[in-house]
Amino acid sequence: MDFSFFGTLGRILSESGFAAFADDPRNLIMILIACLLLYLGIGKKFEPLLLVPIAFGILMANFPLTGILDEGGLFKYFYFGVEHAIYPSIIFLGIGAMTDFGPLIARPSSLLLGAAAQLGIFTAFLLALGLGFLPAEAAAIGVIGGADGPTAILTASKLAPHLLPPIAIAAYSYMALIPMIQPPLMRLMTTEKERKIKMEQLRTVSKTEKIIFPIAVAIFVILLIPDTAPLIGMLMLGNLFRECGVTDRLSDTAQNALCNIVTIFLGLSVGCKAVASTFLTFETIKIIVLGLLAFMFSTLGGLLFGKIMCKLSGGKINPLIGSAGVSAVPMAARVAQIEGQKANPANFLLMHAMGPNVAGVIGSAVAAGFMIKVFGG
Amino acid sequence: MGNLSAGAFLVALSGIVIVFLMLAVLCLMIPVISKCVRMTQKEASPAPAAVPTPAPAAPAPAPAGAYGGEVALIDVDEKTAACIMAIVSHETGIPLSELVFKKIKAL
Repeated sequence: MDFSFFGTLGRILSESGFAAFADDPRNLIMILIACLLLYLGIGKKFEPLLLVPIAFGILMANFPLTGILDEGGLFKYFYFGVEHAIYPSIIFLGIGAMTDFGPLIARPSSLLLGAAAQLGIFTAFLLALGLGFLPAEAAAIGVIGGADGPTAILTASKLAPHLLPPIAIAAYSYMALIPMIQPPLMRLMTTEKERKIKMEQLRTVSKTEKIIFPIAVAIFVILLIPDTAPLIGMLMLGNLFRECGVTDRLSDTAQNALCNIVTIFLGLSVGCKAVASTFLTFETIKIIVLGLLAFMFSTLGGLLFGKIMCKLSGGKINPLIGSAGVSAVPMAARVAQIEGQKANPANFLLMHAMGPNVAGVIGSAVAAGFMIKVFGG
Repeated sequence: MGNLSAGAFLVALSGIVIVFLMLAVLCLMIPVISKCVRMTQKEASPAPAAVPTPAPAAPAPAPAGAYGGEVALIDVDEKTAACIMAIVSHETGIPLSELVFKKIKAL
């Protein structure tokens, strides 16, 4: 038997992933990016539940020679759930089970704030077209402005699958950065007097109203825009589990175990698509910038409409709650609460801001459904 | 400029209008549903005299005099209820005067 220790060692090294870096050093850059995202997720706690699996997915996908993305590879099967809009829809089931639509039912006008805060989606769509993206790509990029990760992922998977990783990373990164992005805009768009406005306590919403709400919304919205069915249907089913009082176990599973399991698969699947050849491009930088602009325009849209509602209500509505119309739940509502309390320590806007906040979830799903309808082919 | 065209502006405008319309219809729909629910509940609820009123639950103490509402306590003593309300207030950052507890029930 011919065996050379050093010969074998040399062969192992020459056939290893380390040696393969010489063929495409961009993989090394992607590994560094993955490590940076892991740091942001773990060290800075930027949306860690998603950023950590996404970053690890990027790490795994950029190790050379693993074949993990090829036919028969593990991630190939994980990605099936993104490709067919399974994961975002299940995440929406969990979100529905976690969401209390009470503040929205108590003040239905909040829905208009949720609609106004979708301005960023359409503005970013136009800006993306201006930067040379194709219409379907621009639509997928625009949906980042909805500040809703699962919706952005679903739209990107249907309209521009090749742009999915930068879109998902931009969406989740900016959602984590909402406490930094929104306050300067909130202070810019509102006066001290407006920020001090104390809002009246919301009425009590009955159990029956809360049960009928998800059923009515599902019937109306899905019948009107059938493309919203996966998101709105699952969101409302999750909420029905929560409110109907006879499916507590299902509600608990949707909120916790199921949502957590799917979050792992969703994160890994999105991350694994971020390979050097498609991610390290100028397009990615453009998407990151457009995502930020989309978030800013959405916040501005909500604030502007908040100001209009403030005027129309005779100063009874604090325009700060308009910024919560972006659907990052509950982060955006918390930011409105913090800014309101800075202006007036006795101010309590959290529950008032939750109305536009959950309306934003419905609004972004409707906007995404519209984009899919127009550009989905 | 890029792929911008009049059609693109039309799509963007239509999109935001549709989102507004959809949510505006929901905004109108909710009060109608609420009204129907209240009417149905009013009709369904029998005359107060016919209903044997359950023993009123003990109202919880107002912790530090800040909480003014009434709360039904089910298998929970007043001290525990006061602690729970104080913890909820602390965790949520909502002053007790703004919180409304309906019932606290031991599971």
